[in-house]
Amino acid sequence: MRAVARGDETALAALYDRYRLILFGLILRILHDRQESEDVLQEAFLQVWRRAADFNESRGRAFTWLVTIARSRALDRLRALGSRARLTDEVAQAPHDDVGDAAEDALKSEQGTIVRQALAQLPEEQRRTLLLAYFEGLTQTEIAARLGDPLGTVKTRMRSGLLKLRELLRDRSRWY
Amino acid sequence: MEHQDYQELLALHALDALDASEARALTEHLPACAECRVELDEMRDATALLAHASTPAAPSDEVRERILQTVRAEPRTSQRQRAVETSGQVIPLRRPAARGLWPNVLRLAAAIAFVALLAGVIVLWQRDARSRRELAQLSQEVNTQKDELAREREMSARRLEALLILNSPEAKKMALAGTQTAQNARAMFVYDQKSGRGMLMTEGLPTAPADMAYEVWFIPKGHLPMPGKTFTVDAAGHAMISDQVPMEARENAIIAVTLEPKRGSASPTGAIYLSSPAS
Repeated sequence: MRAVARGDETALAALYDRYRLILFGLILRILHDRQESEDVLQEAFLQVWRRAADFNESRGRAFTWLVTIARSRALDRLRALGSRARLTDEVAQAPHDDVGDAAEDALKSEQGTIVRQALAQLPEEQRRTLLLAYFEGLTQTEIAARLGDPLGTVKTRMRSGLLKLRELLRDRSRWY
Repeated sequence: MEHQDYQELLALHALDALDASEARALTEHLPACAECRVELDEMRDATALLAHASTPAAPSDEVRERILQTVRAEPRTSQRQRAVETSGQVIPLRRPAARGLWPNVLRLAAAIAFVALLAGVIVLWQRDARSRRELAQLSQEVNTQKDELAREREMSARRLEALLILNSPEAKKMALAGTQTAQNARAMFVYDQKSGRGMLMTEGLPTAPADMAYEVWFIPKGHLPMPGKTFTVDAAGHAMISDQVPMEARENAIIAVTLEPKRGSASPTGAIYLSSPAS
């Protein structure tokens, strides 16, 4: 990340190669549109290139920083698209055969499996509120309205869910 | 809000799920609370793990190429320099506006004030000029009235003198007739034979030219004309001239009026306008 901050293009290329699958998967999950998602992925990496000096190692992991940027850009695009018709989930759910390096794919899948297993241990309501907030960018109030649950309940579920998830994955930090 | 309350907001803040007011309150609390900042960073790490809940997907190869091309097209400067340049671009954009707006407003205000002042000066100047004109007119009127009053007084004094002369025991009265030169003119000369105080009252004499004046002559029998006073007449040809009749002319003399140069002559040079009949 320091090399990227110094203006090292190859460092940026390495960063892209390492995180493109998880970041593009994240963006695609939010937008459900390959074209838009590729645009947003490009935007996200240009932001990483331009703002790499802002990244503070002592404050968090590079993975967290990259994922946060990609998610914010995707949610911004989602809001910008507004009422524009979105592609259905089926398209996004379709298997992506163009995943490159098989070993890398296996590794990412393994990490995804661990997180999905952890999520599966959460009560359904907690998991649901977390995913609505994370992938649809809904606020606590919007989620309460969407699910028809009291705001206080939604807040408690989200907080408990995230704390539980952190607990379950605490020892898995080596993966990220 | 207590620290505990803020702590409970951290997880939702990491998910960007707080409502605006709560998010603002927490953002204001964070700079003062290291514990909350550390906790929030942990919450963000946990939140980022949710990205793994999505299925990894490969973007097309062109995306990598586009990113690297764009990056190469940008100037090779460090991030810090870029930040400085960016701020350097922002400031000049603002400053001219800040500099430009107020002076323009001030210039406009100054221009308006100047025009108003100028208009005021012009109005006052015009008023002053009008006042001066009125004052001059009034003073002229006063002077005219003074002159008229002075003439009236003089006339009264002369009438009184004429009355006194006529009232004296040895008063003499002589009529003067207009000559060929002034056929409409006539005059009366009264005098006290004893004292010699006399008064000539004319009418119908034409106005004398600017550099000329009428002159009274006393012509005793067998003598050369003796000069009296010079005088001018008003528009009606009137004049009242008091004069002292020489001793020689108090009996059987002729009284005549000629037109002479303004300073008067020692002996008649001009035409005779009025004359008493030869006795």
